[in-house]
Amino acid sequence: MSPVSVVLVDDHALVRAGVRTSLGDPVRVVGEAADVDEAVAVVHEHRPAVVLLDIHLPGGAGGGGVEVVTRCADLRGTTQFLALSVSDAAEDVVGVIRVGARGYVTKEIDGQALTDAVVRVAGGDAVFSPRLAGFVLDAFGIAGGDVATTDDELDRLTAREREVMRLIARGYTYREAAGELFISVKTVETHVSAVLRKLQLSNRNELTRWAADRRLL
Amino acid sequence: MVPASARPALLRPVRGRWVGGVAAGLSAHLGLGVGTVRALFAALALAGGAGVFLYVFLWVTVPLGDSRDPALTSPPAATRLARRLPQLASGRRLPATDIGIGLVLVAGAALLLAVRNGWWPQSSWLLPLVLVAGGLGLAWSQLDAVQRRRTSQVVGGRTPAPLLAVAGGVLLAGAGALLFVGQVGGQGLEPAVLVQSVVAGLAILAGVGLVLAPWWLRLVRELGDERVAREREAERADIAAHLHDSVLQTLALIRSRAADPVEVARMARAQERELREWLYADRPAPGTSVAAAVRAVVAEVEDSRVGPDGGVVAVDVVVVGDREPDEGSDALLAATREALVNAVTHGRPPVSLYLEVRDDALEVFVRDRGEGFDLDQVGPDRFGVRESIMGRVRRRGGTATVTSSVRRGTEVHVVMPAQEQRRTS
Repeated sequence: MSPVSVVLVDDHALVRAGVRTSLGDPVRVVGEAADVDEAVAVVHEHRPAVVLLDIHLPGGAGGGGVEVVTRCADLRGTTQFLALSVSDAAEDVVGVIRVGARGYVTKEIDGQALTDAVVRVAGGDAVFSPRLAGFVLDAFGIAGGDVATTDDELDRLTAREREVMRLIARGYTYREAAGELFISVKTVETHVSAVLRKLQLSNRNELTRWAADRRLL
Repeated sequence: MVPASARPALLRPVRGRWVGGVAAGLSAHLGLGVGTVRALFAALALAGGAGVFLYVFLWVTVPLGDSRDPALTSPPAATRLARRLPQLASGRRLPATDIGIGLVLVAGAALLLAVRNGWWPQSSWLLPLVLVAGGLGLAWSQLDAVQRRRTSQVVGGRTPAPLLAVAGGVLLAGAGALLFVGQVGGQGLEPAVLVQSVVAGLAILAGVGLVLAPWWLRLVRELGDERVAREREAERADIAAHLHDSVLQTLALIRSRAADPVEVARMARAQERELREWLYADRPAPGTSVAAAVRAVVAEVEDSRVGPDGGVVAVDVVVVGDREPDEGSDALLAATREALVNAVTHGRPPVSLYLEVRDDALEVFVRDRGEGFDLDQVGPDRFGVRESIMGRVRRRGGTATVTSSVRRGTEVHVVMPAQEQRRTS
């Protein structure tokens, strides 16, 4: 299997260097960028499988990582975006997921886990950190009665999706969650991707209001 | 020779003044007694009014301020970050009362000079003069009061007293001006002239008002905008000062303890937590949030405990939902703390904490990736898990389970149903 090509986008050279050395063998860094315009250019030039994207970036119209994803919309299908941020702010997380990123991890993640996440995203799956899973549960409501009965409902989670989200929020890996629920890892990945799709497509009022409520300053 | 910096700047202080603070300021600047300076002014005033002119000249030219004010004497860097609004405002306040008193003094001096030169103003001129001066004084004194009210940030309905005073001032000044018109016209106070001049005056006032209205409105709006911006700026400066201060201190501590990696990691973690709190958390009022309480518990454990290998253990915290604490949540938090201490000191990182706040219950999971242990093998002397976690929770009607295996680590799961009085209310 050929290594997954990755473009690193972060305005701090130290962070880029640290991430580059921590990434394992299955991943090859083909390019780096430090601001929005450079990122758009580099991504279009190399067309990598995955872009590791910081959310707060200088340059462009001031939109940061969200702007990079929007301006690379023509590469959708070949290039996936994985947000890598130090921020805990809900609107940062939800904002970048809503424009099409396939996952969100924090910079505290260790090298092995980050490599796994990149490979997973390159394969079309979604990557949820415990915190993102917590945000999803918060945004979609955690009251037991409000569950979706069919998979097509965008505004509610199914009972199984909620279970998977809770396990991820508790710090379980996909494999551990699969063992806990007696399902395959592939099924867990399917559930997580379904949740990601709902997070991106749902236009339920509560979601936007929830994100706005957590806006600060 | 006295060094330049030893001599206080020539400023008019607000405190300890009699009239305009000129004598007080001069005495501080020259190092003479206030009494001496005042006596000198009085003597000069008797000598043909020179003292009065000198006083008024200094009054107008010397800026307001206190040379002993620490804000002026301390280096600018120390005061720059946390500038406060009231300081700015009090420095800029227009000394309207002072100007009023000054004008009255000047008028008095001029009158005295005129009398010395043998020109005695007729009473018909004196009355309108006094009326206009009184009206002006009344209105201007209120301007000062309005400004003071604004700086003290009292937000309330407009009190009628200042408005009445301004209206009275306008009336007085208007009546005085009318009398003047009568004098200048040389026809006395004939009703026709009176009406004519009132109409003309009002027409001019209305015209000027219409022309100046947009400019005035813009000025008012800009003033409001500027005040809001300044308040925001002050708040931002406050946060920046706080953050810079704590980060700089932590960095200095880290440099001085560079040889102790555990301590350095602990300080870096504590600082990171504080920054995150400032940047991303909602900062609820104390005692109103279970989420904030659990974060405080985590902070305490992270700061006071180390892992089995002596390193600092960071806890991943995820909280969903929030509500006000009660007795049940207090018991849950105490049990959570014990579970965290166990996980940090005996388990292996990463340690995860997940708290779910629902309407019907609180649920918490504390997980570590350690070797795990068999609860039944733990002797009754190991009081920790059995009593401090399970017993405590059971007494409040909750349940606690501990699952542990060599492969998956240990997970403590605590459920605390919502209190009865919450359900019935």
